[in-house]
This record gives sequence, C-alpha cells and structure tokens, in this order.
Amino acid sequence: MGKARGRIRGETRTSIGARRAVLGQIARYLLVGLGALAMLFPFGWAVITSITPSDAVLAVPPDFTPEGASLDAYGKLLETLPFWRIVLNSAWIGAASTMLQLITSAMAAYAFARLPFPGRGALFAVYLTTLMMPLPVLVVPLFIEMRTFGLVDTYFALLAPTIASAFGVFLLRQAINQVPREFDEAAVLDGAGHFRIFLYVVLPLIRPALATFAIFGFMASWNSYLWPLIIIKSPEFMTLPLGLATLHGQFTTQWDVVMAGSVISVVPILILYVFAQKHVIASVAQSGLK
Amino acid sequence: MSHFPGSRNAAIATVAAVALLASACSQGSATRAPSGADGKATVRYFTFSAAPDHLKDLDTIEKAFEKENPKVDVVVETAPFEEYFTKLQTSIAGGTAPDAFELNYENFVTYASAGSLLDLGTVAGDGDTSVYAQESLNAFQQDGKQYALPASFSTVVLFYNKDLFKKAGVAEPTADWTWADEQAAAAELTDRKKGVYGDFQPVQFFEFYKTLKQAGGEFLSADGKKATFNSPEGVKAAKWLVGKVGKSMPTEAEIGGAADYDTNLFKSGKLAMWHNGIWQFAGLKDVPFEWDVVVEPGDANKASAVFHNAVAISSGTKAGKDAYAWARFLSSSNVAATTRIQSSWELPPVADQQVLSGYLKDPKPANRQAVFDSLKSIALPPVIKRQQEMQDAVTKQLTEAAAGRTSVEDALKAAAADVDALLG
Amino acid sequence: MTLTAAPPEERVTHQRARPRKGWRYAGTVAVFLLPSLVPLTLYTIIPMLGSLWTSLHEWDLITEMRWVGLGNYIELIGDPGTRAAFLHTLSFIAGYLPLVYAGGLGLALLLNRAPRSTGSGRSLLRGIYFLPVITSWVVVALMWKWLLNPASGIVNWALGLFGISGPGWWTDPAWAMPSVILASAWKDLGFVMIILLAGLQAIPREYQEAAMVDGATAWRRFRHITLPLLSPSTFFVVVISLINGFQVFDQVKIMTNGGPGGATQVVVSQIYDLTFRYGRAGAASALSWLLFAVVLIVTIIQIRGQKRWVTYG
Repeated sequence: MGKARGRIRGETRTSIGARRAVLGQIARYLLVGLGALAMLFPFGWAVITSITPSDAVLAVPPDFTPEGASLDAYGKLLETLPFWRIVLNSAWIGAASTMLQLITSAMAAYAFARLPFPGRGALFAVYLTTLMMPLPVLVVPLFIEMRTFGLVDTYFALLAPTIASAFGVFLLRQAINQVPREFDEAAVLDGAGHFRIFLYVVLPLIRPALATFAIFGFMASWNSYLWPLIIIKSPEFMTLPLGLATLHGQFTTQWDVVMAGSVISVVPILILYVFAQKHVIASVAQSGLK
Repeated sequence: MSHFPGSRNAAIATVAAVALLASACSQGSATRAPSGADGKATVRYFTFSAAPDHLKDLDTIEKAFEKENPKVDVVVETAPFEEYFTKLQTSIAGGTAPDAFELNYENFVTYASAGSLLDLGTVAGDGDTSVYAQESLNAFQQDGKQYALPASFSTVVLFYNKDLFKKAGVAEPTADWTWADEQAAAAELTDRKKGVYGDFQPVQFFEFYKTLKQAGGEFLSADGKKATFNSPEGVKAAKWLVGKVGKSMPTEAEIGGAADYDTNLFKSGKLAMWHNGIWQFAGLKDVPFEWDVVVEPGDANKASAVFHNAVAISSGTKAGKDAYAWARFLSSSNVAATTRIQSSWELPPVADQQVLSGYLKDPKPANRQAVFDSLKSIALPPVIKRQQEMQDAVTKQLTEAAAGRTSVEDALKAAAADVDALLG
Repeated sequence: MTLTAAPPEERVTHQRARPRKGWRYAGTVAVFLLPSLVPLTLYTIIPMLGSLWTSLHEWDLITEMRWVGLGNYIELIGDPGTRAAFLHTLSFIAGYLPLVYAGGLGLALLLNRAPRSTGSGRSLLRGIYFLPVITSWVVVALMWKWLLNPASGIVNWALGLFGISGPGWWTDPAWAMPSVILASAWKDLGFVMIILLAGLQAIPREYQEAAMVDGATAWRRFRHITLPLLSPSTFFVVVISLINGFQVFDQVKIMTNGGPGGATQVVVSQIYDLTFRYGRAGAASALSWLLFAVVLIVTIIQIRGQKRWVTYG
C-alpha cells in the first residue's frame, strides 16, 4: 500500500460535526456497554452457581440471590483434589508450551514471509494441513508413537504435540506480511542478516500478534483435555481439566464443585490476558506505526 | 549463512535446548519404572467407580491388601466414567493395558470376546468362589470360563417423598404396587402450578429394558440373534415411560438441560416419586423432609435393574497371580465388603448375609430391606457385542417418541430395525 | 500442489534487495524452519499417516487390526449418516461464520475508535468481551441452555413480550443447530475481535486522517481504507474459522450431544463416537480423511483466491 503512504504528515485534523460525534460516542458506549453486560453474564452465573448450596442448584429459573450462599464448594474443591499441585502443573506446562510455540512459530513465520525458497508455498500448505485433521482420530496413533518412544505418562508427552503450532505460524506470518518491507530493507543496508532483522526489526513490530498468540497458546494448553486424559496415568502429572473431570462420577456429579473449579480455572488466563493486553497497547504505541 | 556467524550458533543452541528439555522430561519417567528394585511386584489397577466420592475408601482397601501382601504394590489409576473406556481402549491398543481393571456388566462381553481378559482359571489356583453370590459370579462368565470377579452392585428402587404423600392424602407406595397404582398416585401428586411433579423416570435404554421385563416382554430372542422388543409388551412398556412425560413428569424442554435436574427436584422437595439407584442414598442424608424407598412397581412381573461392576485382569499382564490376589481381595475380602457397606459405596456381591446385614443398620432410609428385596427378581440388561450402539439407538428412538415427533409404535419399529442391523 | 503463499509484489521487492538464487538461503531457511518442522512431523504428520493406515482396516482398538482396503471409505460414502453429518457441519458453518465475523468486526471497530483518554476503560471492555472465549464450554453451554430454555428461558420470555411464541430451541430438531450456532458465535466473538483489533491497530492512522481531510465519508473510509488494509486479518479469520468450523465438536458434545434426534450430529461427533464408543477406529479414520479432503479443497480455493482481495503492506 505504498500509494497512500506519505500523502500527508503533520496536517491538522479538522473538527467537523463535533456535536454529532458526541452523540455517536454516547450511542457507541451504550452499545458496547450492553454487549459487555451480555458477555459478563455467564461468568457471573457460574460464580453464583458455585456459591449456591448444592441442594438449591435447581437451575430453572436460577436464583441470583441464593439463600445460604457459601464458599463450601471451593472448600470441597481443595479437599477432593490436590488442587495446588494440579494448578502448578497446568501453569508450568502452559507456560512452557506457550514459550516453545512462540519461538518455533515466529521463526517459521519469518521464513514463510521473508525467505524465498523453492517449495515454500507447498510447505506452508503442509503446515496448514496439520490443522485439518480432527484430534479424536490422532490421539490413538500418537499414543502408540509415544509408547514406542517410551514417553507415556511423562511431562514431555504432555508438551510434545504443542511444541509447534501451525495456527501460530499462520497468524504470525500474516502479521509479518503486514510489516512494511522498507523496514527490513533499511536494516539490510545497514548490513544486518536475517537473524538480526528477525530479532530486532520484525519481532518488535509484531508484538501485538505475539501477545495475541501467547494467549491462545496458553489457553489451548490450559484447556486441553483429550490428549492429557489419554497420555497421563499418574496423579502427579494431572492437569486442571483432568482434575475437574474427576468430579464427574458414574452416577452423580457435584455441579457446584465443578462450577467452582471452572471459575478458578478462568482466573489465570484472565490475568494473562490483562497482562498481554497492556503489552499490546504499549507496543502499538511504541512501534512507530502511528 | 556464512555472512552471519550467529546463525549456526543459534541453530546449535535451539537443538541443544530441545534435546535438553526432552531428556529432562523423560528422565522423570525413568525413575518411576514399574516393579521397583526392592523386589516388589507392581499391580496397576484402573477404576472408574472410586472417583470422586470413594477414593479414600479404595485407599483403605488398598492399604489393607498391601499389609497382607507386602510383596505387592498396588498402583491405582482412575478416570471419570464418561471417558474411562476411551482411555482403557487406547491403552490396550498401545499395548500398555493396566494389569487389573474395572468393567461394568454391559461392557464385559465386548472385552471378553475380544480376548482382552485373562481366563481367571489359569491363575486362581484352588481359589474358592463360594464367597460370592452365585448369580453375580455367573454374570461374568463366558463359555464356562470366569473372566472377571464381581466387585460391587447397585439396584434401582422407587424413592418417594413421604411429606408430599401425606400432604396430598395419598397412600404411600408398597411392594405390591403395580404401574396402575403408581400412575394414579402420580396424577394426584402432580401440582404443576407449584412446580411439584408426581413421578420421574428417565426415558432411555436402561429404563426400557427393565420396564419391558416388567411388562412380560423379552428384549432379544433366546438365541440372541434378533430384537424382540417390538412386541405388544414392548409397546406397553414404552408407552408407560413416554406417557409420563409432560403429565406427571416435566418435559425435556422444561428440564432445560439442567444438570442433575431430577436430583435437585427431589432434594428440593418438589418430586413425589423418583426412579433412581441406591447410589443416591448418601446425597439425601440431610434433606429437610421424610423419604423412603420401595421396590419398583411392576406390571405383569416384578423386575428391578441391577448395575454390576467387576474386576478383570488383562490377558497381557505379567503379574497375573498378584493381580488376581488383588481382584479377589477387592471384591470379596471382609475389609472391602465392610468398607463398601459403611460408606454406602454400592454393595459387595458376597454370599454371606451376615456381612450384608450391616447395610440394614443405617437408619435412613428406613426400608433398606427393599434393596435386598429388589434382588429377588432382577433384570440384567441385554448385552451384545456392539453394546453402545444398541443403547444409543434405543435411547434415540424413545426420545423421539417422548418428544412427540414419532409414535411409540414407529419408534420401536425403527429401534428394532437398528438393533437387528447391529446383531447383523 | 503449488500454492502461492506469498503475495507477488513481495518477490519483486526482495529481488531488489538481493538476487534470488534458488537455495541461496538453504541454511538459514533450515534454521528457521526446523524447530517447528521436526515436532510437527513427529507429533502431527506421523500420527496423521498412522490414521491413514488405520483407515484401511477394521479396528476396535482392543483386538488385532483387520485389513479391509477401501472398504471403510466405500461404506461411508454410501452411508446416509455420513451425508447427514456433513450436511449438519455445513449448516453450522453457514450460520456461524457470517455471524461471528460481522459481530467481531463490529466490536473491533467500536473498541478501536473509542477515544484515547479512556484507555483503561477500553482495555477493561476488551477484557470483558474476551471473557466468553476463555470460559469453559461446560459453563457456557449450561448458561445458553438456560437462556434458550423453551419453557422458562429469558429469550422466549422476551419474545413473548412482542407477542411472538418462541421456538423450542435446542429441544427442537429444526432449531437445535441455530441454538448451537448462536452460542458458538457468542463465545467466539471475542476471538475474532482480538484478531481484527490487532489488524486495525496496525493500520497507520495517517491513512484515515488523510481520507478525512479529503472529505471521504465514514462508509467510504471503511470500504476503501479499513477493509482492504484489514484483509490479511480477515483472510486469517476466515481460513481459521472454516478449518475450525468443519471440526466443530466440543460445543455440540456438551450442548446437545448430537441430538435431538441426531439433528446436530456433526462430522467430528461421528468420528468421536465411531472411535471411542462404537469400536470402529478404522471407519473413524476414513471419515477423518474424507473431512480432511473437504477442508483441504476449501482452503486451497481460499489461498488461490486471496490474490484477488487480500492486500499485504
């Protein structure tokens, strides 16, 4: 989009229709606010269910000011599960898998976006195809493979399928494609090689995309259920979704405890999101794109 | 690449980091290799029935076993029932089947005919099986061979809210009740304005095969090669179940997909009669109303559903004898039986009435005897090789009828065709 | 299969910088690619080939595999259940994709244009819109089932105020898929929003300002500046949503479990049931490869077509 670039710089902004803008602003806030309320609703609902005594969780219609509200469910959660161990497992596996994915995906994305080589399009297509196979059909062959490597019931087996992410490669490749090429060319003229350009030019410019991907990478690991279920046997490797699933019995389920667990499980991702969000804004402000 | 020396270093560093990570992670497993160096044999036991409420009870039994058998180390692995078989199948496919594992009666045939189970006769020695209730033991035989030991069972009874009966002035159910009595009472007890329902019985496979037997019908032909439930008795049974929906029982739309809707409805005192299993006893300890149980009403016959769980041993195990010792201990030892009874963790399938009588000591519900009475005429679920597909097909067709999208007759006809195809 | 993964003008630019000589960068390329290519091969591509092998067998996971050649494929192609599953999946995508893209774009635009002074309020709002994305499907499904409860749900109550008698939603075969679509679009709005927002933020502000000076209307600015410059993000959202849409499963399993009367049995539900519940891992693998072929064709068409509408900076 080189045509539009540089057409204006430093020209003053006109303020036509300032009043209409204010009205529009109000309408916009109203809309956004109402939407936000609708988004908050399920979470509030889960919190309420989790503090409602178990014999009063009759869901239709839900009581938003339940009598005898208590944190019993949270107590039960800590009692029935080695909760902190489980959270710790999930947290470090999530962090490790996010870091690995960020590194491997960003590097591959750079290659696909900036390094011409024969068969690049075909190889990228191969990457994409790995997203097209449904997981339920992959877990059995993958389990057999892990068994041949002697990796069943290990932390590594939990991590292995998340080291590389075609989703991440795709996302970051799109982001790198949006970075104006003039930036790397300037660096090339300064004598920088691809590693320098990657590290010092491209990575800082795609920080918003990296932050976004970090959240998705962490979420994928944090919520993953089927693969950990299959590959993990020892309770000491248990992750959060596995732990919560043990609350479902053959005939009965403690729904208030399940809800308490679901509520707690959202918190770390929320913190990560808020953290990443700050980072996104800061980096956009710094990146010189504005 | 030569123009930038950093690239090779980066490559080496990356490879080294990945290798380091891999070795660090896999080392964790090497130190936890099975069968410890102290000469102990390890028995890996996989179970679904302990979590979430009875892990401590299983632990008690395990400790007692290891005390008696100091050379055996039992390692328990659990999974929720929903995904238990997913995990079990995958581990068998991958050649890492647990030494001993739990099976319910419905899935027993599938695994026994697949050759996944060890013929217990090969490891039992002169193991005396007279401690087991004979009928339970027989349920886990195939071609005259014992492939699993029954470990626990539960039955389905009719729960009822005494307060609601008193308020409505309806006589409480007795063991002699028939469907007609239940129906009349349910109609009187239902008060939709107050959100009170007279009766709750899920419309699905397990209720259907049982009510079919109550009506005097058979699910499969004697040779097991044809579905025979599309009969006048079958229609009667299905109509009995489907006819409750929207009358004395809420519709699916009213249930609204709420989890544990019926449990909560009963617990909140708004359900008069409830067809459910004895596993609900523990959860009903503190409800603020009087309740009791009675053997389910019959029609042409009395028939009560029984759910059996058993312990089987993998045909590929290297610790067959130790696994058998554990299976035996878990299913029939005194410690196991009393632990199960004390914690209301289903019932031990033992022959000794003395052990079982402990179950009657618990004051709530008063009529615990009904649990044993229900065993006098039990209805075991029909079992075929493609069990899950059969259960799903029958439930699906019944649900269609319950929602009024098809007639009961058409639903049964379609279900019978599906089941015939599965028997193929 | 040669897909043009890179926009044409990029190659031109690059040639200016340094002449292209086939494998000139082989070493560099290897260093950049191997960290992802090796694990991807080991932990995804090899299992994929494993499932291809499985698809040629009858296998219940607990007994030996039995070779059936293309038997599973032939059976599946003639099976009305397969056709129904694909049809349900397509109807999911047809409802979900437009809804989630339009909603996500609307949100991204609203939030992007909020004034700078409310920066913290804006990030709070973004956080709120992102909540459903990170909330588990168990919670979301229970809540939507209650909202859409035909008898006492808030949605039908609200419709009643306008004299409309609401449908049976997820208990009615005709409305079950729309219910799943609604819940899914609602849950994923935040995902689409965050991707598009990142794209919007990458658009230099000067473009908009220049157009404003030129007197372009808001719609023209949106149509001729924002949309084209956002096209890489849109392309990403569309490709990923389609790939994910074809594999829709979690919400269906939790919300309707394929019902009522099989009205929401999608392809992956079918695959899951076949593998783990019905002991037919071979047929499940064959069905996965059929699904794979469909998704691949759709994706190739999109990548081929991107030249026409995707603009890279």
